[in-house]
Amino acid sequence: MKKTVKLVINGETHILEAEHRRTLLEVLRDDLHLMGTKKMCGQGECGSCTVLLEGLAVNACLVLALDADGKRIETIEGLAQGGKLHPIQEAFIEKGAIQCGFCTPGMILTTKALLVKNPKPTEDEIKTAIAGNFCRCTGYLRIVDAIQSAAVRLRG
Amino acid sequence: MKEFEMIEPRTIEEACQWLGKFKGKARPYAGGTDLLVELKNGRVLLDALVNLKSIKGLDKIKFGNKKGLTIGALVTWTDLLESEVVASHYPLLRKASESMGSVQIRNVATLVGNVCHASPAANGPIPLLLYDAVCLVRGVKGERLIPVGKLFAGVQKNILKQDEIVTEIRLPLPPVGARGSFQKFAQRKAMELPVVAVGTLCRTSNGAVAEARVALGAVAQKPFRAQKTEKFLMKNKTDEQCLRQAAEVAAGECAPITDLRASKEYRLELVKELVYRALKESLP
Repeated sequence: MKKTVKLVINGETHILEAEHRRTLLEVLRDDLHLMGTKKMCGQGECGSCTVLLEGLAVNACLVLALDADGKRIETIEGLAQGGKLHPIQEAFIEKGAIQCGFCTPGMILTTKALLVKNPKPTEDEIKTAIAGNFCRCTGYLRIVDAIQSAAVRLRG
Repeated sequence: MKEFEMIEPRTIEEACQWLGKFKGKARPYAGGTDLLVELKNGRVLLDALVNLKSIKGLDKIKFGNKKGLTIGALVTWTDLLESEVVASHYPLLRKASESMGSVQIRNVATLVGNVCHASPAANGPIPLLLYDAVCLVRGVKGERLIPVGKLFAGVQKNILKQDEIVTEIRLPLPPVGARGSFQKFAQRKAMELPVVAVGTLCRTSNGAVAEARVALGAVAQKPFRAQKTEKFLMKNKTDEQCLRQAAEVAAGECAPITDLRASKEYRLELVKELVYRALKESLP
């Protein structure tokens, strides 16, 4: 069974036919070839597939494409503008918060959602915000630093 | 996932009729964070999902100074955390919401879904049991009110008929002057079911226990109110010895299992300690 859905991804409208069981993650990667959103556990445990849906961080593996019909979606591909990196991306690079990079898109989008809602988060608030994003490489400390640095950058 | 049809009813009546038509091969779909995982791993095989998100009005939190709180079927954990009335009037519900899942899950998952999924270890039932919450259940034959504790039939089993949907949960006003505690022991600080969960809501009057509510999770087939413990507390003082004894009574009411998170012996020890701590926090 299929449905026509309209997805507004990083400001661009995509209209496509999706099976009812198709997840947003599958549409992003397999239909639209936006590979920045990563596929890992498929169960909402690891956060690698985090995207912003109407500004809220969600696990794309547990959102059906038809749940996202008519909604605004932001993926990692939408952050850099005109070749210039987003301040969150710059902070992650500067603080050495990226090793293999697999968790990074999810971490950065979770960070964006956090800082929009809470521009001056405490360390505890940062840790709570990223609790759903696993990193196997960095040990998280530099990620927390990067988020604090990004918060400062975004506050101007 | 096995292919399924997404039905998008406009009303609850329509939704119940569709569920009835599919005779158990369809389920209500709200956040989907439990259901989609079960569909993906093939533990549940369905022909259809009945999307509650196409029905207006189920996403509201309503509060009245006499009626208490009403939480709609589509209210997410994030909605609960952002609600001022929950924070000021139902702090134990707020506390339970804080340690549920992750931001990503809380933005999508619903309290009602958590209750209906009927995991014996879930966060949601604990504050709901303490606040004497009641579920409004609607089906093709009409509606009924079921206390939360009576909704559970066993591990991940509820008593709902094939065509029934929990459309809201109602919490009466908590007793005036009551103090509560929510104690959850887990191997991680987030993204983990409790090994043992304890909730208490107590009130004293002239130095004696006037009200004692104790809820336990992850220590039996269903979350439950520890009635023997509550009776024990009502007859007693609030000194150290009594609290410790109450905790022993609570442990006696449990039937924990050994699983990947802990042994049943350790769970019993945890119950004794956490019930003590919870009572200490809720009884001055």
